[in-house]
Amino acid sequence: MEEGDKDRNIRILRSGVFTPLRRWGTKWSLWPCHFVTSCCGVELAHAFACGFDGERLGTLNMGISRQANFIIVEGTITRKMARALRIVWEQMPDPKFVNVIGACGQRGGIFWNSYNLTRPSEIVPVDFFIPGCPITPEGLLRGVRAVQEKIEGRDRTTIKFKTAELPSEGGKGKESRVPTTAKIFAPTPLIKVDVPKEVDWDFGEDLVKSLKAQLGGLYKSITITDKNRIAIKTTPENLVKVVRELSGTTGIDHVKNVNVIDVPHERKFIVEYMVSSYSEELMPVIITVFTEIGREAEPVFPSLTALWESVDYSEREMHDFFGIRFEGNEGMNGKFLLAPETQTPLRKDFKLEEERYVLEDGVPFAPKIELPSDLKMPVSEELLEEAEKSDDFVVLVGPHHTGSGHLRWIMRLKGDLIVDIIPDPGYVHRSMEKLAENRLYIQNIPLFERANISDPFNMNLGYVRAIEKALGIEVPERAKYIRTIMAELSRIGAFFYDSGILSLFTGHSTGFMYVWAIREMILEAVVRMTGSRCTPSFIIPGGIRRDISDDVLNMTSNFTSAINKRLRKFEDIFIYNPVFIARTKGVGVLTREEAIRYGIVGPFLRASGVDYDIRKVEPYEAYDKLDWEVTTGDAGDSLGRYMGRYEEIKQSLRILKQAVDAVKRMPRGAVISEEVLGEYREASKDIKGHLFHAYGNLVLPKGEWTSVTEAGRGTLLYSIISDGESNVPYRVRIVTPCWMNLRGIIEASKGERVADFWAVYGSFGYFPPEADR
Amino acid sequence: MKKVTVPEQGLGEKVIRHATAIGVAMKESVYPLTATVFYPRERKKMPDNFRGYLMFDPDKCISCWECAFVCPANAIQMKVAPNKRYYPTVDYGKCIFCHFCVDSCSGGALKTTKIHDVAYKDMDEMLTLTEEMLEEPEIIREDKKSVEYVIDEHDLHLKRVREVDTLFVAVTPPVEIPMVSQCIDRASCIGCRVCEEVCESGAISSSTEQRGILRMKIDTDKCTGCGLCVKECSMRILRLVKK
Amino acid sequence: MIDINTVITGLGIAGNQVSIPIIQQMLDLLPEIPMIKLIISFILWKPFFAALICPGFTTLGILLLFFPWIERKLCGRIQWRVGPHEIVWWLGGIIQLLADSLRFLFQEVIVHKDAHRPYFLQFPFLTFIPALLPLMFIPAGNIVAIETPYAIQIILAVVCLFPLFILGLGWASNSRFAFIGTVREAFMYFAYEVPFIIAVLAMIVLYGTSDPVGIATKQTIWGIILNPIAALTFFIAAAMATSRMPFEIPEAEQELAAGPHVEYSGIAFGLIYVLCYEKAYVLAGLMTMLFLGGGSGPAIAGLGDLSGVIWFLLKVVIVLTTLFVLRAIYPRYRLDQGLSIGWSAMLSLSLIALALSIVLVLGGVI
Repeated sequence: MEEGDKDRNIRILRSGVFTPLRRWGTKWSLWPCHFVTSCCGVELAHAFACGFDGERLGTLNMGISRQANFIIVEGTITRKMARALRIVWEQMPDPKFVNVIGACGQRGGIFWNSYNLTRPSEIVPVDFFIPGCPITPEGLLRGVRAVQEKIEGRDRTTIKFKTAELPSEGGKGKESRVPTTAKIFAPTPLIKVDVPKEVDWDFGEDLVKSLKAQLGGLYKSITITDKNRIAIKTTPENLVKVVRELSGTTGIDHVKNVNVIDVPHERKFIVEYMVSSYSEELMPVIITVFTEIGREAEPVFPSLTALWESVDYSEREMHDFFGIRFEGNEGMNGKFLLAPETQTPLRKDFKLEEERYVLEDGVPFAPKIELPSDLKMPVSEELLEEAEKSDDFVVLVGPHHTGSGHLRWIMRLKGDLIVDIIPDPGYVHRSMEKLAENRLYIQNIPLFERANISDPFNMNLGYVRAIEKALGIEVPERAKYIRTIMAELSRIGAFFYDSGILSLFTGHSTGFMYVWAIREMILEAVVRMTGSRCTPSFIIPGGIRRDISDDVLNMTSNFTSAINKRLRKFEDIFIYNPVFIARTKGVGVLTREEAIRYGIVGPFLRASGVDYDIRKVEPYEAYDKLDWEVTTGDAGDSLGRYMGRYEEIKQSLRILKQAVDAVKRMPRGAVISEEVLGEYREASKDIKGHLFHAYGNLVLPKGEWTSVTEAGRGTLLYSIISDGESNVPYRVRIVTPCWMNLRGIIEASKGERVADFWAVYGSFGYFPPEADR
Repeated sequence: MKKVTVPEQGLGEKVIRHATAIGVAMKESVYPLTATVFYPRERKKMPDNFRGYLMFDPDKCISCWECAFVCPANAIQMKVAPNKRYYPTVDYGKCIFCHFCVDSCSGGALKTTKIHDVAYKDMDEMLTLTEEMLEEPEIIREDKKSVEYVIDEHDLHLKRVREVDTLFVAVTPPVEIPMVSQCIDRASCIGCRVCEEVCESGAISSSTEQRGILRMKIDTDKCTGCGLCVKECSMRILRLVKK
Repeated sequence: MIDINTVITGLGIAGNQVSIPIIQQMLDLLPEIPMIKLIISFILWKPFFAALICPGFTTLGILLLFFPWIERKLCGRIQWRVGPHEIVWWLGGIIQLLADSLRFLFQEVIVHKDAHRPYFLQFPFLTFIPALLPLMFIPAGNIVAIETPYAIQIILAVVCLFPLFILGLGWASNSRFAFIGTVREAFMYFAYEVPFIIAVLAMIVLYGTSDPVGIATKQTIWGIILNPIAALTFFIAAAMATSRMPFEIPEAEQELAAGPHVEYSGIAFGLIYVLCYEKAYVLAGLMTMLFLGGGSGPAIAGLGDLSGVIWFLLKVVIVLTTLFVLRAIYPRYRLDQGLSIGWSAMLSLSLIALALSIVLVLGGVI
């Protein structure tokens, strides 16, 4: 990189005339082009919202690269995003500065061996690195101050360590042998997704009977794998028929998950579709229809898009990951999530860098990452030609655009109307599913939490619940309630995050600031509970890491009423603002049928009139013991979706209040199940000191363990496939609500006006890192 | 189940709502509910359990490697100290501050600080060696006041105190669960001496008995119960038991 | 030796001086130095004073330097934060805009290769013509640069030229977002122009003159009280014309990344950034003149003509603040909603305002 010199900007500022004025002006007018690439963007928003107000320092957030002079790289730069970073940097006028915040952009953080990561420092010259995952707003502002000082002529790291003498005695006199890795991989594991389990479930047995009668010779076996879980094995030829039969007579109406499992030593892929129904009695039941196909370079498999449009994007994703060609799906001619050069990364023969446990001289701290040679990622020529012919105007929104989030929307416009939108996701695809296959079960807790740090507890809870389901652990009562408190705090936080984004999208910065003040309160409660603002990693299999103090409980209880004062102002200035109502009312309407067909989940599905909330359908934690209501609506438009969620938050506050009161009444006691701790059961009040002992060698029973959780933005599904021998999962499939809602955004915006897209997009609370995983 | 209806606004309602919105803005411009921490000049107080930079106490370390094993980001790597023992180093270019290491450290050698606002000018400086983690580091601080968030039943308040918040906290040691390693099937021992080699505290020794057969001996007083030998034993005949 | 007083009288600037009693004595001491007397007489010559000092360049410059700061501070306050602060923290960061403008001044100006280079660079400067010209006709108190009975019509004509230059900016940028932004600008122009002109017309009908000074003297009761409907229409139209919040449709940062000026950088962007404030200043001046009694107000002792100037500026700042604080209150309308507001609600409001004026005139209220 010929321009990659870090001090070039300082030289520019020091050359020519009026240098003191130039330096002074630049110092106090660093306008960051916020490069919200990943989760650190949440903390960036906190740093520039009313909690810390970065504008005090003269740094005014500016989304437009030509007018900014400072890039703050917020975390992950994936292979697809690398190009955007370089282009934005090149578009900026000199002198310009770059700060990288968050571990992902430094040595990769938790994604250090991901196949889709690049290093910003290899793409653009970086002035300062701020550690953290995510950073705190203070850290970000410290970075801004560091750049200001650099302009003044003091280029320095802001921490100074003192070197102390290490003890020279106390050892056994010679170096010990370096232990081998803590991970155990079974060399040729037996992978079965239909391991039968004895459960007390009469309805299931009847259902299996009727299914057997109905499917006739189409299936190979039907097994009950757990309560509410049924697996149907069939042949590739019969799969479509089975599914058609299920959707026709049984009333199965949507797909929750499309999954492929690579079993190289048996030369096969297992392809599975998890289907379910929104009709009353089948709601909690998830039926896994699976089949095995030969492990070839590009095996062909029939697509289900004709039946359910909701499987479309998931099939494309599987095509990216495993190279399976779904016949009938239109998106098979290229990559969807991945950069073009990455080939079938989720196949087992695609190996990632192994951990090193010893610091060795000369060995790089993180694997060398080959930059994509071609930094261009244009739109397909055919699309442009076709648009030209039909006299449409093609606009590329994103991946670096003030209102795009980190994905690209290829919009085809006819005048002010949207003809079509083609999503181009994957700009934050950090390969969580692959990484999870190489980490201990316990190490995956922080990993999955990073899917969505605006809703961290629910992400965490979903994964832990899948493990608990597999191990059959009962969580102590106190821990259950505390987990409920955390999940609800997280849900409220997620809603206010989305409110803020929606108000920004509609141009209302005050609304954004108001909810961010509320979020600041939530984060204060979270940090006092767990020690971290956004990434608590606090829920572990069997309970929570440690009990929370009464002060924090009181504070949480106060929060439920303290929020009202600010919330009322927010209502007055934003929610009931006639302009906002005009912008969102009747925009992006999805009827009940459409919503189900496109596979929308969570509060957005409820806004279209489907009464489905996992907290009621398959109650977990303490939800069945508390008094609250599911909220639904009939409008199905942007305003309906928003108001539905708003009402849901009021219910959440109700749950929160009851749960806090219940915990306060409860005697202090164990918060981690002694069953899972075994020998270390004395640590059941506080895991401190024994986390690895107790959980390092966690092995799940053989089979597939699926948990569904109602996360802030909808159904969150984790499916862990364990071989029963390894202490790392064989495969983890995570289906996040945002990924499922992507289709809904596209369909709801078609035919609307250009500006409506943002009203629809914002109302869906789309969080790209969660969707891309 | 609760049905949510979307607000309908007639002309009168609209005018009232316009007026309310303007009213809120006018009120806030006079008596704002400002919630801003003036960060470089004042600092927000973090709770004592805040997960920030790590400090290390070699006297309490039993070199069990668990911090390195549990680190999800592989940020902790071990390095040999002058006394030939392995102690952790932290790479803050990878560290995600999950503090699984602190929660895995049975001796309580790793402890947290409230440092979290640091800017490095170079990525190579982000590796913190063991010897740098012993004493309290210095960071650039411009704060003269500290701010605490107080949430009472009515609202969020910012309590400002004219004092510099200390960033180093006293931590409570973890619950002690004394464990020792025990051989459960001596007859199966193949005498590979891996357990002896891997043991950092020198609790396992070997002696050649009659007919040249190695005999491993575990000194239960020296054994820290770290479990490394259990993990490494290829015959799986070692086990941790309560002391 | 030429007598300086003869020169001053000869140039015809003697009779038309701004009188400031408080410094008159000081001025009387100065005539011993000939050139100073000439310069002072020139500066205090009303047309010159108007063009150069108030409401002209100097006031405009100072306002541009501090007004965005006022806006940012006030919006910050409403939004529960503080706005620019640390630069000189004991003054609340008052010179923030100085730093910003210095930065823009010394920053690289990028002309991307798809741009129409000459126009791309010319338009930011050309746009100053319609932005500055109306200042010649706006009186501050009784000080005005060019006195004409058709001042209001001229101001209207020049102000309505403004969007053409924005269209030029967008067209020269040759970028997709800039293109959509310019199209939206053009649409919004159609939306507000007619009601805007009718609202002004209503006031001209009411006062029976379009001479700015005459209007000021006619307003024994302020226009805003006489015809509040016209004032409301004018205000909304001004918000549309300057792309203020509920109608910030052409710029729409979250949708179009600032529309017409997405490609501008450095000082070119700096100019465009202040243009919007200039336009708002002109419209606020017009509003003050038409509805708020111009420079009328209790005379401040000792200031003479400057008293009117101060009242005028005070009113302008209030109007500007109201216009800019909308940013903190409202989201943005959609383009079609903006258009329908222009063509239905505002057009009818403006017609009602016109009718009201006619009724008032016929009723002999004024």
